[in-house]
Amino acid sequence: MFGFNHHNIRSKPPLKCIIVGSGKVGSALVDVLTKEGNDITLIDQDPSRVEEMTDYYDIMGIVGNGASFHVQQDAGIDDADLLIAVTESDELNLLCCTVANQVRNCSTIARVRTPDYSVEANFLRERLGLAMIINPELSAAREISRLLTLPGALEVTRFAHGQAQLVRIKLMHGSPLIGMTVAEYAQTHTDPMLFCAIERNDKVAIASGNFLFREGDIVAFVCEYKSSGLCLSHLGIASGAVKNCLIVGGGRSAYYLAKNLLANHISVKIIERDMKRCEFLSEALPEALIIHGDGTDESLLYEEELETTEAFVPLTGMDEENIILTLHAKQVSSAKVVTKVNRFSFKDVIRSLDLGSVIYPRYLTAEAIIAYARARRESLASNKIVTLSQLYDQQVECIEFSVDEQSRVTGTPIRELRLKPDLIITFINRHGKVLFPLGNDTIEVGDSVMVVTTHKGFSDILDILA
Amino acid sequence: MNRSMIIYVLGTVFKLEGFFLLIPVLCSLLYREQEGLPFLITGVISLGIGFLASFRKPDNHAFFLREGCVTTALSWILLSVVGSVPFVLTGEIPSFLNALFETVSGFTTTGASILTDVESMSHTALLWRSFTHWIGGMGVLVFLLAVIPLTGGGTINLMRAESPGPSVGKLVPKIRYTARILYSIYLFLTVIMLVLLLLFGMPLFDAICTALGTAGTGGFGIKNDSIAGYSSAIQWLVTVFMILFGVNFNAFYFLTLREFKKALSLEEVRAYFAIILCAVIVITLNIAGSFRSIFAAITAAAFQVGSIITTTGFSTVDFDQWPSLSKGILVLLMLIGACAGSTGGGIKVSRILFLGKSMHHQVFSYIHPKSVRSFKMDGHSIDEETHRGIQSYFAAYLLIFIISVLPLLAEGCDLVTGFTAVAATFNNIGPGLAAVGPTQNFASLGILSKWVLIFDMLAGRLELYPLLVLFSPSLWKELI
Repeated sequence: MFGFNHHNIRSKPPLKCIIVGSGKVGSALVDVLTKEGNDITLIDQDPSRVEEMTDYYDIMGIVGNGASFHVQQDAGIDDADLLIAVTESDELNLLCCTVANQVRNCSTIARVRTPDYSVEANFLRERLGLAMIINPELSAAREISRLLTLPGALEVTRFAHGQAQLVRIKLMHGSPLIGMTVAEYAQTHTDPMLFCAIERNDKVAIASGNFLFREGDIVAFVCEYKSSGLCLSHLGIASGAVKNCLIVGGGRSAYYLAKNLLANHISVKIIERDMKRCEFLSEALPEALIIHGDGTDESLLYEEELETTEAFVPLTGMDEENIILTLHAKQVSSAKVVTKVNRFSFKDVIRSLDLGSVIYPRYLTAEAIIAYARARRESLASNKIVTLSQLYDQQVECIEFSVDEQSRVTGTPIRELRLKPDLIITFINRHGKVLFPLGNDTIEVGDSVMVVTTHKGFSDILDILA
Repeated sequence: MNRSMIIYVLGTVFKLEGFFLLIPVLCSLLYREQEGLPFLITGVISLGIGFLASFRKPDNHAFFLREGCVTTALSWILLSVVGSVPFVLTGEIPSFLNALFETVSGFTTTGASILTDVESMSHTALLWRSFTHWIGGMGVLVFLLAVIPLTGGGTINLMRAESPGPSVGKLVPKIRYTARILYSIYLFLTVIMLVLLLLFGMPLFDAICTALGTAGTGGFGIKNDSIAGYSSAIQWLVTVFMILFGVNFNAFYFLTLREFKKALSLEEVRAYFAIILCAVIVITLNIAGSFRSIFAAITAAAFQVGSIITTTGFSTVDFDQWPSLSKGILVLLMLIGACAGSTGGGIKVSRILFLGKSMHHQVFSYIHPKSVRSFKMDGHSIDEETHRGIQSYFAAYLLIFIISVLPLLAEGCDLVTGFTAVAATFNNIGPGLAAVGPTQNFASLGILSKWVLIFDMLAGRLELYPLLVLFSPSLWKELI
């Protein structure tokens, strides 16, 4: 809307993006990419939808079929930097990208979510010359399965090719952290970990040494993948993966999640309403137990032992049902519950419900694309952002940069660097080994460095300097 | 209703007007005229109010169509009231009503004047009069969008309320750059015209005022006989530029992108040139007898046609003396007006084109009742909403037109004067026929008539609805 943004990224030339399809993912992308100051043109078949979006956001709208080259030309494909196709249909998305790619050599990103294609995603991407293929359902499933292997956490994000994890936890009554400062905990425990950010009363702060933990704080810390269980147990939180999981709804997300969990030797039970879909699932997932029935039926859930299951994931198509199921599960069992919320709206209501782990697939997709767009904007040749993740309602950004050349940040001890406030260097990944830096450590060429900050729009490691 | 945002934008408008008022002050310094002081005082006060009102940036940035309409309507009213103050203070137009009429006529690019002797005015006041045309032509809010960093989608509603035409689109994704492109084209054309006028031997001050008046398709002359006193070369130059400023600016944008084909294929622009061509031919044949040479007749016909269809309102001859056919054509051109997305007024060629197609469609459906045909403009089909919008616009236009004529008749105007006075102000042209003809002025009209015409000028410039929204009681309940 009418805003006065002062992002770092403003100074760099905007990226000219074309987004095809204004469904939920499309509008989420419009939202985040306009906030970053990019020039957006939206293509959709539905005139009223286009008008709604152009009324609300400072973008240009085109009504038409995004795969038609004429429509793409109207949208300015000739000097566009990036085309993102996120219509309902995978085939249309791929066609949009192929046209844009072959005729005008513009970078393209397509959403492909059907399992048939997703196994071939890399092959398709290379052959069709796409920059990226996104699959929100698959990303959501991966995120959920990470949470189920570390059930004490609210959220788990991977960095450094999976070697490091950023974990968010809520400090419950009786946690040993309560009443301690960040520095005190570091003195008494030598775990390889680092606190990054704390949320209290909807306000987020970057962790500093004299910060005092209180009950109810939501704390984010970075640790090595291997030792995350250990870290959690020192924080008084149960660790160890769940052994079984009950999923309600057998859609695409459920399929991807079940596949992931089964690979991690977690047994899976899926309740699905539609007989045809049940048959498909039992064929595709022979190891899973498929139940035909209504997952929102309380007695069926009782029958299928919701009380004793270790994890419960409602994945119906309706946010309302998912939320009700979550609340019900929290009441009757002590299972780890993960809620997937598709819609953007009413976020404050959802937050106030205390659902525990909530996953927004749209954000997951958007993060990957922002990371790509920022890297494109910074320099068209080199990709300086490895991973980007937004936490705490987009108030905090965690960015992993690759350091490819000598610069003002390399070779100088970290304590001598003049860093911006509200920023923390969490780890350095050197030749596949994760270091938690102290003041004397230096950043070297070839490292990748992860930064957690409340600043927005960083696109280069040099942005950390004041 | 987001009051704080409306106040913020209005404050910014005050600030802009404060800066604009300093331009005539510079002029008064050059010509050593006393009249500069009232302009300076008004400008400084306006700046002060502006800074106070826009001091705090509002937290709530929600900005919808109703906010856009209200802000636009209030901006134009405030702009006119403040702009008329210096005329009263200098004593050049002592009556406030007359000063307001003159200023509204300036900002709405009408060019209808209540001055009986323009040549007795100071340079300072004349420049301000012409400058109001220039800023009103493309619009003050479009200017605001171009220079003030208001990002966000809601801002499109400001442009939508202010820019003429049935559907307002962007040239580039960001509104700020769209506004900048429009103003760049506008400024560029104005400067080209100024340079050419100087080359053709027009004095500097005259050239500046004429260029500003032509660019905004305004029509305030700085001579009692408008443009008649200048050479025929200058008259032709003004003719060409008047017609250019009546073209949809999208066409110029396409030209800057070197997409000549696209620019030439705009249906509206082609219809616009076709109408001009036909009108010039018919009028030339009709009036040829009373001119010494056919060239003189073409010059006069082309100038008058260009001036009326683009709603500029300059004149080189007293067309009130022309035969009825020519006068009739000119009145028709008054109603048609220029292209959408130009600086001109009137119903707009695109709407006329659309109504014509709609009529054709209706006739066709009498022959083939079950036929299904979609409306197309420039190859794109027109959606139902725009369709309805144009028809209801036309209905509202006629209704307001007829109702506006009545008070004039009540105050003693004859039918031709009343009808053409409303036509000339509602379509932002300037001169009408008979008692408000090109050699006459609006000074003799009654008080009520002037208020009605002030309303008509604003309603015509903002294309009815933004101004009509102000009269909705449900809006005031929310606003207060």
